[in-house]
Amino acid sequence: MNQGGKIRVLVAKPGLDGHERGAQVVAYGLRDAGFEVIYTGLRQTAEQIVSTAIQEDVDVVGLSILSGAHLSLTRKVMDGLKAQGADDILVIVGGIIPDPDIQKLKDMGVGEVFVSGTPVSAIAQYIASAVSTRKNAG
Amino acid sequence: MNDSWENLIAGVKNRDIRAAARLITRVENRAPGWKEAMSRIYSRTGSARVIGITGSPGAGKSTLTCAMTKELISRGLTVGIIAIDPSSPFSGGALLGDRLRMKEIFETPGVFIRSMATRGMLGGLCQAARDVVRILDLFGKDIILVETVGVGQDEIEVVKTADLVMVVCMPGQGDGIQAIKAGVMEIADLYVVNKADMPGVDEAVADILAMLELSTETGKPSAPVLKTSALKNQGVKEVVTAFLDHRTDEDRRQAKAEIRAREEILSLLAQEVSGYILKQWENENRFCESVNQVLKKQKDPYAIVKEMTQRFNWS
Amino acid sequence: MAEQKKSLDRIKKARDLWEENVLKKRLKRFNLAESPTRFYTPLDIRGFEFLDKVGFPGQYPYTAGNNPFDFWRAYADSAAKTDYRPDWGGAGGVGKYGGFGTAEDYRDYLIRMHAMGRKGGPNMAFDLVTQCGYDSDSPYAEGEVGRVGVAIDSFKDFATIYEPYTGDLEIDRVPSNFTINAPAAVIIAMYVVLAQKRGIPLAKLRGTPQNDILKEFIARGTYIFPPKPSLRLFRDICVFCTGNLPELNITSMGGYHIREAGATPAQDLGFSMANAAAYLQAGIDGGLEIDRFAPKFTFNAFGGSMEIYQEIAFQRAARRMYARMLKERFSAKNPRSLMIRQPITAHIGCSSTTLQRPLNNLTRAVVGGVAAGMSGALPGVFPPFDEPLGLGHSQEAVQLQIDATRILIYEARVTDVNDPWAGSYFMESLTDEIEAAAMAEFEKIESMGGAVAAIENGYMPKAVAKSAYERQKQIERQEKFLVGVNCFTGANEITVEVNRVVEATYDPERMRTAEARQKAKLAELKRTRDSRTVFSLLATLEQHARDESANLMPDICDCVENDATLQEICDVLRGVFGEFQQTRL
Repeated sequence: MNQGGKIRVLVAKPGLDGHERGAQVVAYGLRDAGFEVIYTGLRQTAEQIVSTAIQEDVDVVGLSILSGAHLSLTRKVMDGLKAQGADDILVIVGGIIPDPDIQKLKDMGVGEVFVSGTPVSAIAQYIASAVSTRKNAG
Repeated sequence: MNDSWENLIAGVKNRDIRAAARLITRVENRAPGWKEAMSRIYSRTGSARVIGITGSPGAGKSTLTCAMTKELISRGLTVGIIAIDPSSPFSGGALLGDRLRMKEIFETPGVFIRSMATRGMLGGLCQAARDVVRILDLFGKDIILVETVGVGQDEIEVVKTADLVMVVCMPGQGDGIQAIKAGVMEIADLYVVNKADMPGVDEAVADILAMLELSTETGKPSAPVLKTSALKNQGVKEVVTAFLDHRTDEDRRQAKAEIRAREEILSLLAQEVSGYILKQWENENRFCESVNQVLKKQKDPYAIVKEMTQRFNWS
Repeated sequence: MAEQKKSLDRIKKARDLWEENVLKKRLKRFNLAESPTRFYTPLDIRGFEFLDKVGFPGQYPYTAGNNPFDFWRAYADSAAKTDYRPDWGGAGGVGKYGGFGTAEDYRDYLIRMHAMGRKGGPNMAFDLVTQCGYDSDSPYAEGEVGRVGVAIDSFKDFATIYEPYTGDLEIDRVPSNFTINAPAAVIIAMYVVLAQKRGIPLAKLRGTPQNDILKEFIARGTYIFPPKPSLRLFRDICVFCTGNLPELNITSMGGYHIREAGATPAQDLGFSMANAAAYLQAGIDGGLEIDRFAPKFTFNAFGGSMEIYQEIAFQRAARRMYARMLKERFSAKNPRSLMIRQPITAHIGCSSTTLQRPLNNLTRAVVGGVAAGMSGALPGVFPPFDEPLGLGHSQEAVQLQIDATRILIYEARVTDVNDPWAGSYFMESLTDEIEAAAMAEFEKIESMGGAVAAIENGYMPKAVAKSAYERQKQIERQEKFLVGVNCFTGANEITVEVNRVVEATYDPERMRTAEARQKAKLAELKRTRDSRTVFSLLATLEQHARDESANLMPDICDCVENDATLQEICDVLRGVFGEFQQTRL
């Protein structure tokens, strides 16, 4: 879709969880990796995330969740994107995600799950390669 | 979705949000064919009113933009917002955070928000912003708010392309007012002292009035100074009324329009020409080499530009 | 004096010679520009005055500790002989931190705990919906009801939790902890109304509400109102509690959370002191005399890194800094006003634990326990090693954690000496260094107009985020090492398998249905209560909220007593105070 352009990433915190450190670090890190990061702060509803993702035409939505509500919150975002015909946007999830839930998230269509301790550089690399694969495919 | 230029443009005309978002991306990325696409929509634009909003960091521009949008929507108008933030000169990335203060209008029907990075384009930001304005215009937005941090010259150029320029500051920002003096004084049509619930608001208003008095002596028309507390939604109605009612006198408007048309042609031309030449040089991998040569004092920039352009016999 | 100077001169000469003849040779041999280690001498603490900088345990400036020895130390031997489990509560202490589902779910869980002999007072975790001032039927609540804690919508929920707390466990006998900040006034009001309905004198209520809203803007993010009106609510609680609930702690300030959010130790200490100063000033502005309320301020376990020396020095610096601030700035005289009271001192913090090779976290937590034991507290080993797995703490992890603490006390005898590092050239120098750096942060905030201003202008939250990012970059560049994360991850390393039996786990079925049951209960409440009275009480609250000088606690108690919901009360205040808007990164 945006040949030659910057990769645009929405970093969002869905739900009421206020632990922002991970999202902030990832936002800074992705900026320094050359991406354009849209940072919307705490307490985003799924609807807000979906509408932002679409208006900003982002390549990637990154959800940061540490409250244990990752399954239901991610489900809502995925459903919302699908309802708007925007399920081509890559969704990734980060936070405290117990092992058994990682596969469940992937089954929903989440591209990758990054647990605590993941280097931001690894997230950036994943995004860069996943986005370029998708663009070439599309 | 078929992402051809035709389809996207047709989608925008049909008020399709995704099409508008994608058309913006492609034009912003200068994807091949963008000029033709803009050319196709140009004649259908010009009906939106464009308000440039600038001012010192921390003055509450995003919060004010959000509050004004709510007011505009309540008056039955549709609103497009372009929020511009600087790109990092080191990585080329950007942290676009203006939306943080606009959550209340993320889902408001009739509102479209687009965050835009300056991308370090050589004078190109201005044109890119103009292009996005036109797409939102085609998309049917009645009012387009273009918000920038009023620090860089580039960003000041951006708000200059607006029909009306609003400068936002806050009390107790002696330095901020100094900055306003330096940069945007000549282009402001309206001043807003935000955070008017803070101490020092009257001093801030007095400062601006004093500056205005000085400059009206040199022939610049006076601009109203209003007070708001955007967080508390106070004074916002008045600001909206002021800019909706604002009428530039015909001579000034004409003069402004002429300057703008002239500037746009020149800027497109400059980009086209420099882009053309640069592309060739980059293909030959010589641009980086040239920069290195200057750094190592092996060559000077004048000689390099001469070399770049002499195949066109221009110098 | 002259004698001392002579001695220092001799040491300086000797050090110069050592550097020249010993150190430099070694550096040359290993081809290093700089030594990887440091050696401290009296030259590093020139002018050190023992009484001024350290003093005796239990005496100003409290560098050597709050007490000559703590109560737990007095009973340490008898605890060992009687198998006393402090984590089980009882003997008038609070029980284990917890909470889930609806009030009924949590109540039944507590009853089960009591049957197992774990009879501590309730130590409540609230769900995020409650923490953010919403009811379970709010659109924001979807998916979050009863998840990270218990859901409280109304006084009825609160009273349900206390059903098993009668007789020996009556609320004048066991204390309660409430980990609640933005709506702390509402929860405290519920506690007050509960006592009134039970005929218990308010003066007998004990416990600790977290009630540390300022750090929520910097770290944890469960704020509602902007900082200024939030501080006004703090003032109202402070004045109300001082007058009516003199045994209740007023706040448990959290340096811990600020560090976990990414702050450096200097930022953590400086910001926490700035927050404390704002709270203390709020009490004074409310017309209180400092020594009437400052003794009821507590701290929520300062600390949060693996760097053991630094964490020990940090505790010493924190105690000294707080004591000096209370004495010099606030003219406090009561020794209890001057002390940083906290449940444990140093600890590694949850952010030091790693998901990779999780059993290593036990080793890590022991380091925190040693730091605590060496800085004037119970050598609490925290957290359990399986913390980062996010699945609750297993029986094994909890047992190992408690045993580790015991081993430090009884076998390593870490806590037989008060402030064992006192007088160390290195530790005294490091303590001074941390205090000076924290003071610089504190003064920066004061120059901005104090904690509230430094939140409004975004300084504190942004500084913490930047520090977090800096640290992450250091880890990724291998300037900081985390074993099993960014080093020693080769093929020869194995992951030690961990056993995972979670004790008394929250019933997943109840967890799943909590939201629906809670919403049904709330609908029923709204249908059956006297809503006319509720609305009129809320209107009065609103009117008083507009008057900055009014204390809102009596109004909030009235609302709670008549079954106004937590969100209804918060919504009234949202209307008057507005909601906090984050500043950008």
